[in-house]
Amino acid sequence: MDLEADLEYVLKKSLEMGAKYADLRYQENYYESILVENRVLKSYSSRKFSGVGVRVFVDEAVGYASTTSLSRENFLKAIDNAIKAAKALGGGEKVKFDFEANRVEVKSKFTVDPENVSAEEKISLALDANRAAFFDDRIKNAITRLGFSKDSRVFLSTYGAKVKVETVMSGLWHESVAKSYKTMERVGYSDSRCAGFEFIKSGDWNTFTSDLSRLAIEASESVTPPAGTYPVIVAPDVIGLLLHEAFGHASEGDLVSTQESVLYGRIGEKIASEMVTIVDDGVVENGYFYPFDDEGTVKKRTVVVEEGVLKGFLHDIMSASKFSVESTGNGRAQDFENMPIVRQTNYFMLPRDYDFDELLEDIDYGIYVCGKGATGGQVDVGMGTFTFSVGPSKIIRRGRLAETVRGVVISGLILETLKTIDAVGKDLMIKTNVFGGCGKMGQTVKVGFGGPHVRVQKMTVGGR
Amino acid sequence: MSLAEKAVKRVLELGASEAEAYFHSEKVFWIEFDDKIECFKVTESNGLGLRAALGKKVASYSTSNISLEEIDEAAERVVRIAKVTPEDLEWRHFNMSFSKSDARGYYDESVEEIGYEDVVEKVNMAIERIREYSSMVKPARGILTISTTRTGIVNCYDGEFERRETGVVAWVRAKAEDGLEKSIGSEHIETRFWKNVNLEELASKAAENALNFLKAKPIESCRIPVIFRNDVFASILGTMLSGPITAEWVQKNRSPLAGKLEKKIACDRITLVDDGIMYGGVRTRPFDDEGYPTQKTYVIEKGLLKNYLYDTYTSLKDNVKSTGNAVRGGYWTPPQTAPSNLILMPGDSSLEEMVKETSRGLLVEDVIGEWLSNPVSGNLNATVTHAYLIEKGEPTIPVKGVMVSGDFYKMILEDVEMVGKDVRNMGQYYSPTIKFREITVAGK
Repeated sequence: MDLEADLEYVLKKSLEMGAKYADLRYQENYYESILVENRVLKSYSSRKFSGVGVRVFVDEAVGYASTTSLSRENFLKAIDNAIKAAKALGGGEKVKFDFEANRVEVKSKFTVDPENVSAEEKISLALDANRAAFFDDRIKNAITRLGFSKDSRVFLSTYGAKVKVETVMSGLWHESVAKSYKTMERVGYSDSRCAGFEFIKSGDWNTFTSDLSRLAIEASESVTPPAGTYPVIVAPDVIGLLLHEAFGHASEGDLVSTQESVLYGRIGEKIASEMVTIVDDGVVENGYFYPFDDEGTVKKRTVVVEEGVLKGFLHDIMSASKFSVESTGNGRAQDFENMPIVRQTNYFMLPRDYDFDELLEDIDYGIYVCGKGATGGQVDVGMGTFTFSVGPSKIIRRGRLAETVRGVVISGLILETLKTIDAVGKDLMIKTNVFGGCGKMGQTVKVGFGGPHVRVQKMTVGGR
Repeated sequence: MSLAEKAVKRVLELGASEAEAYFHSEKVFWIEFDDKIECFKVTESNGLGLRAALGKKVASYSTSNISLEEIDEAAERVVRIAKVTPEDLEWRHFNMSFSKSDARGYYDESVEEIGYEDVVEKVNMAIERIREYSSMVKPARGILTISTTRTGIVNCYDGEFERRETGVVAWVRAKAEDGLEKSIGSEHIETRFWKNVNLEELASKAAENALNFLKAKPIESCRIPVIFRNDVFASILGTMLSGPITAEWVQKNRSPLAGKLEKKIACDRITLVDDGIMYGGVRTRPFDDEGYPTQKTYVIEKGLLKNYLYDTYTSLKDNVKSTGNAVRGGYWTPPQTAPSNLILMPGDSSLEEMVKETSRGLLVEDVIGEWLSNPVSGNLNATVTHAYLIEKGEPTIPVKGVMVSGDFYKMILEDVEMVGKDVRNMGQYYSPTIKFREITVAGK
């Protein structure tokens, strides 16, 4: 490929131009989204986005530049811009240049490239799934979105690395709004995979959307739970979200080194119940496919918490250098226009040995906190506080699931919550999402999260 | 023939009845800093947004790869998508005649000449200014972006029109700490001109602000007069009105202002204009994102609702002229109707007078979460992070952590007491400081 030859040429050139080290990222991204609202196609949008980003070190100073013009001349201009930026900065902290020089090409598994599937087929599938949501006149509104993405990244460095990763994703998101008497409830959920169109083609989406409608109706006819502190069983998608937001970010090396994190200085400390083991892994079934990071480092499984003890943090090259450890392969950038920063990949709790029924049987009165229809929340990484608005959930009465409740909000201090986990299920669910990702410092990246069903002795639950 | 013109030609050759190409290129200096510069980044990017109509079937497609081969591919894709798109029965046509207003002050040549060292020096001096300010104050996360853009539009009827714009945005923040007490202060500017940017001054103000709010705390819940500082109210205006005043919202039946033309929706002191030609405005430009000339439109005149904002699509639907308010959020999104520079016209009071004439009230200098307010119901909610309690005509203790809420439409109709003469912007929204008679403040 001419382009790669050009990239390798300009990379060599960067050393002559004054860089001590340089790396280049070439990225090609294709995204397609089909939106159907109330049985009508609302929009069909697709976008192609490609370019090159270059990071240079001049002495200890870092400069960054990018371009969407794919020619040798423009690549050189970008390198020149980055070197000028680095030179203007001067100074900088001494970084241990632990860059790996991997040479590898990997692709996520897919059989049917979504780009090659006709627009008609995609539209008719989305229309069918949307129509299936309207089986009852209490459903007032329903939105279905189909999404596909193909992301190819090539990482090259003056250390000789050449890492090519291609990730294809497909997914469907649906939201139903139901109205009973006076209460309106909306329930949205999505299912995405690192897979091709075959994932969409083989799914039973009509059941997926009608189930969400049923849940919305049920929720609109239910009440909010009495506020209070209860034993709860947390569903895998909620524990995943909770861990990622309230704990995962606190374990990111850059936020630890600036002392913004509640986990600062606590390695080796017992910070959770011994039932709790938390890992970050680049490749895991049903998660986001991320075998190498945007600094060419292999993303292996990183153990963050092992049986309740804080073992380590997530690092990119810069943050690893500050802690005098090795990068864990968590240097990630939204795209070629951004510099890598420390980010999670697939962050989840490992399962243990409880059946769902065993989790239930000891609870006299509590709540089964569910993720379908969750609308998000807010965390403070420095304090470790969280508030999440979760989906329609179930009351647990004398060891059995009872009536549905809506408007459930859970809140607490993450380190206290992790300490009161007294049972962990043997199931494991990991989710990823083609429609969105996780944001930090203005950059959004795709992640995976999840875990088993988890029992928490005490959780503060409020009605909305 | 430019690439954009070639793209239009190609889309038509492939069987479309209409075609439009929107080209955008930009160069951005992006500097993130706290106690030192964390990231200095230079991005150069191009993009092409294509729209095609096959009769009443309309589709769009975009790419960042501006080469002949890619344009052929893009043209094929957009026509292919248009073919399977259902008809939009309201569709008439793209803008048929391009024209320019005499807008000025949207391009600053000196921005193109800013050197890398200049930028670093300015930022470092601002960081230094915060450090020197007090031992209790430290720099916190800030950002400076400097951009130069070029935008071209052509369709099957007219064009190609091109405009160059410049813009500088800066946010400077400082944090203060004294034992367990912590606070943040921030200052911002968004302008077309490099010479308007004084980072050191912003830094001093941010540091002062952080220090002043160390002891801030909530007050008891009450209903009292509230003075919103100009940029705070500018942001509230943007949240509450930028959607409802567009014909797009009115036609989709989402706007609470539907059916209210020539009716009194605000008090006499309220005059709101959408001014696309104001000198130096951050959204000033000679033509909108469909090639239609920009203009000054009175939206509210002395309390009467006079006009909605239009782009080509919505104006053809209502059989009126476009007001030149077609805006693309990026080359990858089709145009929507949106304000240009939305300005609440100044009155004649000074901030000092407003404070002096308040026996007990709240002077609000910064809020968060105002963007979560509901423009459809008019329900305004904001969490106050920086305010002063006014007692006997004097600002006294710093206040934080209280919520202000109210019915925005009732506020502008019945509760406006004084309008300041000090207009300032938050992004494209401009407002003077404004005093309301009585607002609910939820505190302790």
